[in-house]
Amino acid sequence: MEVAIEVKSLVKKYGNLTAVDGISFTVHKGEVFAFVGPNGAGKTTTVEILVCLRNLTSGEARVNGFNVQDRKGQREIRKRIGVLPQDFNTFDLLTVKENLIYYKKMYGHGIDIDKLIELVDLKDKTNALYKNLSGGLKKRLAIATALVNDPEVVFLDEPTTGLDPRARRDMWNLVKGLKEQGKTVFLTTHYMDEAETLADTVAIINLGKIIAMGTPSELISKHGGTKTLIVKKGGKPLYDLLHPILSEVKLESDGDVVAALKNESDLADAVLALNSRKTEFEELIIKRPNLEDVFLNLTGKKMVEGELH
Amino acid sequence: MRRVLAILDGALRTWYRSKPTLFWTLAFPVLLMLLFGAIFSVSQDPTFDLHLQNQDIVDGKPTFLSKTFSDMLNETGIFNLYIVDSTENATLLIEEQGIQRMLIIPSGFEADCISQNASIILKMAPPEVETASATVRSVVDGVVEMFNAGLAGPSPPKVVTIEFESIVSESFQFIDWFAPGLIAMSLMTTGIFGAIGWNTKNRELGILKKLATTPLSKLEWIIGVVLYELVMAAISTVVILALGILVFDMKVLPSIYSIFLIVSGAIAFPGIGMVVARFVKESDAADAAANAITFPMMFLSGTFFPLEMMPDFLQQIAKVLPLTYLNNGLRDSMIYGNVTSALTNTAIMLGIGAFFIILGALITSWREE
Repeated sequence: MEVAIEVKSLVKKYGNLTAVDGISFTVHKGEVFAFVGPNGAGKTTTVEILVCLRNLTSGEARVNGFNVQDRKGQREIRKRIGVLPQDFNTFDLLTVKENLIYYKKMYGHGIDIDKLIELVDLKDKTNALYKNLSGGLKKRLAIATALVNDPEVVFLDEPTTGLDPRARRDMWNLVKGLKEQGKTVFLTTHYMDEAETLADTVAIINLGKIIAMGTPSELISKHGGTKTLIVKKGGKPLYDLLHPILSEVKLESDGDVVAALKNESDLADAVLALNSRKTEFEELIIKRPNLEDVFLNLTGKKMVEGELH
Repeated sequence: MRRVLAILDGALRTWYRSKPTLFWTLAFPVLLMLLFGAIFSVSQDPTFDLHLQNQDIVDGKPTFLSKTFSDMLNETGIFNLYIVDSTENATLLIEEQGIQRMLIIPSGFEADCISQNASIILKMAPPEVETASATVRSVVDGVVEMFNAGLAGPSPPKVVTIEFESIVSESFQFIDWFAPGLIAMSLMTTGIFGAIGWNTKNRELGILKKLATTPLSKLEWIIGVVLYELVMAAISTVVILALGILVFDMKVLPSIYSIFLIVSGAIAFPGIGMVVARFVKESDAADAAANAITFPMMFLSGTFFPLEMMPDFLQQIAKVLPLTYLNNGLRDSMIYGNVTSALTNTAIMLGIGAFFIILGALITSWREE
């Protein structure tokens, strides 16, 4: 498989602060690569080094084979990449179409703007001013600005932060569409479900270091831990019932009984026990571990909206 | 070039759609012109208030010579005379009534004139404190001289007289001297505020960062913004000229050489702005920086009064201010028709512009540390 991005022992220091601490990874062409981690983990710094906005302190980074530290390499990289910077807003008083034409002219090559507008589903808003668009539509236009030059590699720095669930799903579909077109996508996010849904490869980054990397299912089976049995509103009676049978049983404050399913037979044993007595509960859930559990197991912390708890 | 034009096109569309910006682009020169036009285009000679106390009273009547002197003062037409009773205490009166100028003819004036030892007293703020004092003083001097000559007997023949010949068109008024300065000043404020403002706003939106990831070069970006400010400058210049001609009966018109100058100024100032914009990251700081540059320049470059009136060290400072050269060049070409000065100053302004644009391109960093 051809390599799109290659990073070796990358370090970035701001004075005494080490923002990126010796990370290495490879992104293959046509792959969606997600960089997941809390705010301040070093995600944006890495992106900005890759898109030639920042100097690196040490190590090596290449995009499409071109060195990001080399002047000629930067010129070649800029032609071939599309970037959605974090918190990007474009010209308020230009229309959707005018904004896209503006950025396309910076390249001198690219895709048909009308087709691009259709691709991001903004056809009805072609002549609407940017400032009059809703948050979700603004983000769609912002992504479109990263596609005007028909780039080989697309960098999306937190493309869904602050969006409502529906707008987020729209964005996910857009990213899936990019993958279908064969583009390489480098995505940063602090939403675990987003990485799990979109990415072929996920790198979890914390405090400047990659603490785990692999496909979502690899990461989950390796670090996600066991399946969990949740008995909704089981209360004290169910806790007493399951406690002797399963190894780790907890009674949550809201009355849910949560138990880890460590052994193959655990689930069957629990169901048999539940069946043997008349017990009251609302719902029985068997939850498979996800990337959030991976993060929790690796760092001991939960991540909510990019902040650690 | 395609990229530069795209930047110009985007900025112009934004300008045209932003109602406040559109309004101020047109209203700012209008306000300036109306304000300064009204203050400075005084067509009649100025008059000054003068309190006059004649203490040389004999038998309840002013003496002949003191009466003659006060009549001569009155005939100049420059003073609004207020007669103060001879019994009043002048010093007290000045303090209590806030009188600004008082001329006292002391008692015994006539007798002293005959013994060729007379004096009058002129009480007012010195010229260093109030500029009008200088004018008042020289008018009173003139009256005293005439009075002396009259006393000396039949007036001596006039050996030398002055014939005043204007080196500019007879119909020129103060507004004609002032308008070139106003054009220069608006080129400066439009250019510096505009360039800094546009750059800072786009930095805050993240557009600069985005553009830095495209093949656009810093030089192209700077030239695009400068071109945009050039269009803005053209608009305010046209507004100033139109108002001057229609409202203030202005006679000077820009020659082809002054148009060169205007273009060179409209390039140099946004060039300076783009260098400053490199160092200011927030909107507030941007305004402060623009003010800090434009304000001193406005006053030290001969926009409102001739440079000769300023102290020596300020004149030295004026020599390094770009606006000075634009002011000089514009006045020389528009009022005196001096082509050499116009071309020299155009060259200086273009040099300044090129220097700052290149400096801007060199020090502006798309990349961040």
